[in-house]
Amino acid sequence: MRIDLALYGPVAAPLAAALLAVLLPRRLAAFLSLLAAGAMLAAALVLASRTAHGETVVDGLLRADALTSWLLVTVGAVATIACWAGLHHLRDEADAGHLAGRSARRYLVLVQAFLACMAVAVLSANLGVLWVAVEATTIITAFLVGHHRTRASLEAAWKYVVLCSIGVGIAFLGTVCVYAAAVATGASGLHALDWTFLREHAAQFDPRLMRLAAGLVLLGFGTKAGLAPMHAWLPDAHSQAPGPVSALMSGVLLAVAFSAILRYRAVFDAALGPGYVRALLLVTALLSLALAALLLIGQRDYKRLLAYSSIEHMGLVALGTAIGGPLALSAVLLHILGHGLVKAVAFCSAGQLLHRVGSSRIDAVRHAVATVPAVAAPFGVALVALLAMPPFPLFATELGLARAGFTAGYGWAIGVAILLVLVAFGAIARHGLSMLLGSSTPDHSPAPAPSAADVTGGAAGAVAGAGPVAPAGDAAPTGDAEPTGDAAPAGGVAVLTAEHGTVSEPAHGRPYRVGLRWVPLTLGLLAAAVVGVWLGPLAPLLDSAARIAAGQ
Amino acid sequence: MNHGATVALAVGQTALLAVVAPYLVGVTRAVRARLEGRGGGRLRQPWRDLRKLLRKQPTSPPDASLFFVAAPPVLLATSLIVAGAGPFVAATSVFASADLIVVVGLLLLGTVALALAGLDTGTAFGGMGASREMIIAALVEPTLLLSAFALSVRVGSTDLSTIVAAGVSEPSRVFTPASALAAIALAIATLAETSRIPVDNPSTHLELTMVHEAMVLEYSGRDLALVEWAAALRLTILLGLLANLFLPFGVATSLAPLPLLIGALVFVLKLVVLAAALGAGEVFAAKLRLFRVPELLAGSFVLSLLAVLAAFILAGPVTP
Amino acid sequence: MTADQLFDLAFNLSCGLLLLTAVGTLWRREVSALITILVVQGIALTAIAMLLASRQEDGAEAVWVAAGVGLVKVVIIPLLLLRVQRLVPGARETRPLANVASSLLAAAVLSLLAYAAARPLAQVSTLPTARATPIGLALVLIGFFLAATRQRAVSQIVGVLLVDNGIAAIAFLATDGVPLIVELGVSVDLVLAVLVLQVLTARLVQTFGPTDLDDLRELRD
Repeated sequence: MRIDLALYGPVAAPLAAALLAVLLPRRLAAFLSLLAAGAMLAAALVLASRTAHGETVVDGLLRADALTSWLLVTVGAVATIACWAGLHHLRDEADAGHLAGRSARRYLVLVQAFLACMAVAVLSANLGVLWVAVEATTIITAFLVGHHRTRASLEAAWKYVVLCSIGVGIAFLGTVCVYAAAVATGASGLHALDWTFLREHAAQFDPRLMRLAAGLVLLGFGTKAGLAPMHAWLPDAHSQAPGPVSALMSGVLLAVAFSAILRYRAVFDAALGPGYVRALLLVTALLSLALAALLLIGQRDYKRLLAYSSIEHMGLVALGTAIGGPLALSAVLLHILGHGLVKAVAFCSAGQLLHRVGSSRIDAVRHAVATVPAVAAPFGVALVALLAMPPFPLFATELGLARAGFTAGYGWAIGVAILLVLVAFGAIARHGLSMLLGSSTPDHSPAPAPSAADVTGGAAGAVAGAGPVAPAGDAAPTGDAEPTGDAAPAGGVAVLTAEHGTVSEPAHGRPYRVGLRWVPLTLGLLAAAVVGVWLGPLAPLLDSAARIAAGQ
Repeated sequence: MNHGATVALAVGQTALLAVVAPYLVGVTRAVRARLEGRGGGRLRQPWRDLRKLLRKQPTSPPDASLFFVAAPPVLLATSLIVAGAGPFVAATSVFASADLIVVVGLLLLGTVALALAGLDTGTAFGGMGASREMIIAALVEPTLLLSAFALSVRVGSTDLSTIVAAGVSEPSRVFTPASALAAIALAIATLAETSRIPVDNPSTHLELTMVHEAMVLEYSGRDLALVEWAAALRLTILLGLLANLFLPFGVATSLAPLPLLIGALVFVLKLVVLAAALGAGEVFAAKLRLFRVPELLAGSFVLSLLAVLAAFILAGPVTP
Repeated sequence: MTADQLFDLAFNLSCGLLLLTAVGTLWRREVSALITILVVQGIALTAIAMLLASRQEDGAEAVWVAAGVGLVKVVIIPLLLLRVQRLVPGARETRPLANVASSLLAAAVLSLLAYAAARPLAQVSTLPTARATPIGLALVLIGFFLAATRQRAVSQIVGVLLVDNGIAAIAFLATDGVPLIVELGVSVDLVLAVLVLQVLTARLVQTFGPTDLDDLRELRD
C-alpha cells in the first residue's frame, strides 16, 4: 500500500489540489497547493529510498527507477519553492489590487495541473504517454505565460504555443517512427512503446529509421528543453510569465523535457551505437551555449537574462549527456537538480523584484542591496550560485563535466564550452553587479523621465498608480506606452530612478510588506548549498540514476 | 511497319489538322458569340480571313532583319511537323517515335522564334510582348513536359503514341486519380501556351493586356496569314493532345482504312467539343492581371509535379 | 469493380486529395478559403483511416479511432477556426514572407524532399499502404513552411494543423495507427491547442484591435 501511494502520490496530490482550488478561497487554496508540492517531494523521497540501489517499482503504466526518483526529487523540490513563493506572489498581486478572484483560481489550478503532468511524464513507463504528458504541459502553461494580459505577454504566449506545438509535433513524428520500427519487428499496441521493451529490442530495429527518429526526437524534445535551434520561445515565455511560473518552467519543464531525451537516448544507443546521438547532442549543446553566451552580453532585461542563462545551462547538460558515461551523467543529474533549485530562487526573487521596482529592465534597478535588501539578497546570492561559485552545486558539476570530458577525449568541446561559459559568466556578473551594487547615477537613463520601457503588466500598473493618474483595471498602459522605447507612460511614473532611489508603493490596497517572503528563497539556497557540498543519503541514488541514464 | 502507309497517314493527318484548325477557331468564336447573345461570324470566317491575307503583300519594319522574316515559316513548319507526328488519328507514329520531349521542344522552338521576331521589330510593343511571352513560357514548358510525363511513368516510355496506345488498351493501369491532376495541369498549360483567357486575350490590342498580339503586331499580309494559321494549328495540336492523352477512346490502333476513318472522325468530334468548351469557358472567365499569371502557372506546375510524384508513389495496387 | 479495386481507387483518391489540399493552402489567400481546404483535408484523412480500419480483423477499435479523428478534424477544429476568423472577417494574407508563386515552387521542392526523406519509413513497414508515407511527410514540411512564412495568426494555426495532419497520415499509413491512448491524447491536445490559440487571438483582438494581430514582433533581442 505504501509503495502504491508513493508511486501515485506525485500525480494524485497536485490533481487533488487543482480540484480543490476551484472550490476553496484563494488563501486556503494557495496553502493547499504548497502542501501538494510538499507531498510530491515527500513521495519522491520515499521512492528514492526504495530505488536507491537499482530496484524498480512498477504498477501499470507508471514505473519508477532511480532516474525517475532523482527527477521526481528535483520536481518536488522546485515545486515546493515555487508554490511557496507563489503564495507571496498572489498576495502581492492582491495587495496591488489587480488580482481578480478568477485569475488567482486559474493560476492555482493550472500550476497544479502542470505539476501533475510533469509527474506523469517522469513516472510513465511508456514513451507514448510521456509524449502526451509533455504536450499537455504546453497547453496548460500557455495561459500561465499570458497571465498578465499585456501585449508582450500575449505575444509571448502565442509564440510559445505555436513553436512548442510544432516542436512537440516533430517529437511525435519521431515517436511514430520508433513505433513503426517496433511494429515492423512484430510488436503491437501500447506495448510497442514501452521503454523497457524498446531498450531490450532496439538492436533489431531498422537503423535508418532509427537515425531519422533520433534526429526528430532530439529536435522535438529539444524544443521543449530549450536547446538550440528551437529555443526562440524560451526568453519570451520566461520573461513574460510571473516569477514562480518561470521558476517552474526553468526548473521543472526543461528538466523533464531533457529527461525524455535521456530516456530516448538509451533506446537509440541500443539501436545505433553511442556515436550518432552523441554527435547530434554535441552540436546542439555547443550551439545553445554559443547562442546563450552571445545574447547574454547585450541583455537589457533581467528576466530574459535568467532565461538565457537557463539555455546556457541546458547546453551544459546536453554536453554532459553527449560525453556519456556514469561520471558525466552523474554530473549532469546533479546539475539538473542544482540548476533547478538555484534558478527557481532566482526567478522567484526576480518576480518579487519586478513587483517591487516596477520594471524588468536592468538599468531600472540600481544599488538594489541598499534600496530593496529583502528582495535583492536572495536574488544576488542566486546569481552568485548561477555563476558556479562554491559551495553551490553548479561548481562541482561543471568541474565534474570538465573532468569527464577530458578523460573521454572530448577536450576540444570542453575547451569551447569553458570559453563560452566564461563569456556568460562575465555578462551575468556585469549585469548583476550593476543591478545590486551599481552606482546611483546610471549612464543612460533619461532623467527625470521615468523609464518604464518594458511594460510588464501588473507591477507597472501598480507603479503608474503612484502618480496622480491611475490606469484602468489590470490592463497595462496600452495606447501611449511604446514598449521598446523610452517614452513616458500615462501620468507621472515614479519608478526606481537613480537620483531619488525611490521605490514605488502599490496603487491601491495595502503597503508593501516584506513578511516571510525570504523564507522559501533562503531555504532553496540552503538546500542548494548543502547538495553542492554533501549529498548524504542521495549519493547512492545519484549513482544508480547515472548508471541507468548511461545505459548500463 | 508499312512505310508507305505511315507516310500517307502522316501527310493525311497533317492536311486534316491544317484544314480543321481555322474551323476550330471559328467554333470557339461562334460558341462565345452565341453565349454572349451576339450573332457572331460563320464558322468559315477564319478561313476567309486567311485567304484574304494570303493575297496581300507583306510589309516589314525598316529595322527588321532575319528573325522577323524567318519566324512565320519556322512557326508554321514546326507546327506542321508536330501535327504530322503526333498520335492524333492513330496511336502510331510515322517516325520511330513521337517522343514527348521532342514534341514539346518543337513547340518551344516556335514560341522562341516568335519572341525573337517580336524583339526584332525594334518597337516597344514587340519587346514587351516578347518578354511577357518568355515569362509565361518558362513556367508552361516544364508543366507540359511533366503532365505528359506523369502518364508516361506508368507506361514506361516517353513516346506519346505508346502512351496513347496504352491508354486505349489498359486504361486502369494508366489512369490513376493522379492523372486528374495531370489533366488539370495540362489544361492550364494549354490555355497559357495558346494565349487564351485567363492568361492572354486573343482579341485585345490594349498595351496593358497584350502578350501574343504584341509580338505579331507588325506582321501583315502573307506573314500574318502564316502566323495566324500556325496559332490555330497549335491550338488544335494542344487540344488534340489533351483529348487523346486523357480520353483515348476511338483512337485507331492499326493502319487499316476503317479504323483510321473512325479515328479521324472521333478525333474531330473531340476537338469540336473541347473547342466549344473553351469558348464557353471564356465567356465566364476574366483575364488575370499580369502579375497574377505566374501564380496560376506556378500552381499548374506544382500540380503536374504532384501528379508525377503520385504516379511514382501510388504505383501498383494497394491491396496485397 | 471488385472490392479491392474500389479500395484502391478510394485510397488513391484520398491520398491525392491530401496532397492537393496541402498545396491549396499555399495557393489561396483568403483565410476563409484556408478553413474550407482544411475541412476537405480532414475528410480525406478520415477516409484513409476508415479504409484502413475496414481492412483490419478486429477493426472495431480502429473504426472508433477513425471516427474520433474525423470528428476532431472535420467538425470541432474548423468550428474553432471559424470563431477565430469571425474576429477578423474578410482577412487575407497580404504580406507573406514568400509570395504565392515562390511558395508554390517551394512546395514542389518540399514534396520532392519528402519523397526522398521518407524512403526509410516506407521501406521498413510491411504494410502495402506504407509507400504513401511521403505524402504525409510532404504535408508536414508544407505545414512547417506555412507557419514560418505567414504573418496572419490564422495562417500560422493552419500551418500547425497541417503538421499534425501530416503526422497523423504517416501514423495511419505506416503503422495502421498509433495505440488508442496516444491517439486520444493527440486529438485532445490538438483541440485544446486550437482552443488556446483561439482564446489568445480573441484577447489580442479585444485588447489591441484586429490589425495588430500581424505585428507580433515586439519581443526580440
